[in-house]
Amino acid sequence: MKEKLVLENVNKIYGDGETAVTALQKVSLTVKEGEFVAVVGPSGSGKSTFLSIAGALLSPTSGRILINQKDVTHLTSREMSDVRVKNLGFIFQASNLVPYLKVLDQLLLVSKLAGKVGKEAEQKAKELLDQVGLLHRMNYYPEKLSGGERQRVAIARAFMNDPGVILADEPTASLDSKRGRAVVELMASEVKQRGKAAVMVTHDERVLDLCDRIVTIKDGMLYEKKADIVNKDKKPEASVLG
Amino acid sequence: MFLALRELKYSKGRYGLIGLIMVLVAWLTFIVSGLANGLSSDNASILKNMDADYFVLQSDSEHKLTRSALPVEKLDEVRQLNGDIQAEPLSQTMLSVYQTGSNKKIDIAVFAIEPEGTLMPSITEGQNMAANDEIVVDSSLKEKGIKLGDTIGDKDLGIEWKVVGFTKNQKFSHTPVVFMDIQYFSDLMQASMGKKVASYNSIVIKSDSVNKDTLQKNLTDAEVITKQEAVQGIPGFKEEQGSLTMMIAFLIVIAAFIQAVFFYVITLQKISQFGVLKAIGAKTSYLATNLVGQVLLLAIVAVAISIGLTFGVSAILPESMPFELGTDILSQYSGLLILVSIIGALLSLNRIAKVDAIEAIGRVE
Repeated sequence: MKEKLVLENVNKIYGDGETAVTALQKVSLTVKEGEFVAVVGPSGSGKSTFLSIAGALLSPTSGRILINQKDVTHLTSREMSDVRVKNLGFIFQASNLVPYLKVLDQLLLVSKLAGKVGKEAEQKAKELLDQVGLLHRMNYYPEKLSGGERQRVAIARAFMNDPGVILADEPTASLDSKRGRAVVELMASEVKQRGKAAVMVTHDERVLDLCDRIVTIKDGMLYEKKADIVNKDKKPEASVLG
Repeated sequence: MFLALRELKYSKGRYGLIGLIMVLVAWLTFIVSGLANGLSSDNASILKNMDADYFVLQSDSEHKLTRSALPVEKLDEVRQLNGDIQAEPLSQTMLSVYQTGSNKKIDIAVFAIEPEGTLMPSITEGQNMAANDEIVVDSSLKEKGIKLGDTIGDKDLGIEWKVVGFTKNQKFSHTPVVFMDIQYFSDLMQASMGKKVASYNSIVIKSDSVNKDTLQKNLTDAEVITKQEAVQGIPGFKEEQGSLTMMIAFLIVIAAFIQAVFFYVITLQKISQFGVLKAIGAKTSYLATNLVGQVLLLAIVAVAISIGLTFGVSAILPESMPFELGTDILSQYSGLLILVSIIGALLSLNRIAKVDAIEAIGRVE
């Protein structure tokens, strides 16, 4: 299987000299096609920095990042924009939809940013909306949708440009457990079906069993446990984190 | 423009309101400029429409036509300077006269010229003066009830003139101009007012080859001014135009600030949204194009509506109101209003450029 997202010995240090803060230390992670990885960790552990670097929003201080086999470590901000629009799909916390765009336009905007327009894009957008079960809502503004529906639109939007890698930042944060689980289930099945690599940063213990691997981030360092061990340890760990 | 148009459609209310303010400001700008333009021609159209380059005045007359008195010999002196020079005498005075058979006074500005010379304006109705007591008058006197063949005059002096022709757009100092033969006018001044020495107010020069400095150098005891300076020298002209121009300038500055502040506040409100857009791959240039598109669209529509409203107002204003809309002035101010709105948008563009896509990550609301 192809390696879609590779981080090699990534370090990120904010500031310099005496005031330097190490946010990430020797972080290495490889995510393959069809793999759904969860990143957990307490606040301030470096989860956001990790996601920003994996998402080509931030350059690392040292180390190497490959997205879709392309080295994105030293790109200008314009080039990073291009990488993001073509190779990455983002799902953020709640209310990341553009408030003045109808559901269908939310998806079309993404293909427009990638320079694709016309009937083909519209066809693809409708297909995706059908898969997340929101075709009947395509002419609604986000304010008319429920929290779960909004996240489903965000998932459809993330898949719109057929990116290699999907990154999710606490996608269940504003949802109740039933809806949160439905959203992550949808993500997992889309990732499997379309052969994407996905990384989800989360606090939500209830959805970890839907992921293939779980890595823990603590003080800027990444620890990986074997999936079966994680599953066994899940209950006691939950009380520590919760 | 994908985002720009959809946002305008979604937030109709808020963009409608700022559009309305823009319409009102632009409308007022156009009305004041029409008024300035109208007053300017009401005050100086005779000089503006005159086929002339320079005016020779008496020295120390401070650019004021009304103050100057040149000896008649000056005309020959000017004519001998250069063969190319076309010089004609001009005498001028303000009078209050009666229409024969009426007791109402009418103010007129008498301009005495050579009837066959180039200073004689084209006649729109009637004919040129042929006899001494015949005059050609500005068409605005029609509103005072004067028709062809009527006579006006001064009872005390015992003179009467017959209106034989009308001409258009000839006013001086907000007063309709009456043209008469300069020879007759000089005789009249000597006979009726007891003037000892014959004189002209000014000598009007038209020349392609001689410039103001050469003229000034070669003429003693005289002041040479351009047509523009002569217009500025009309009593009250500078003050009148100056205050109106200041109002227009303030309106344009106000329009710029209103738009700049409005779009800046909207931009500040949308910072996190811009963060998300940048994170999913929108470039600053794309967002900037959409903002400028919105600003331009709003400004152009507002200006277009206010041009329509201005023409509407000008149609219902009374004829005697000095209101004149020139296409060149209208397009100048339209261009200026649109330009300042784009300059105002730069403030917001700067803010958008500073938004970091990272703001979209780890944001808890």
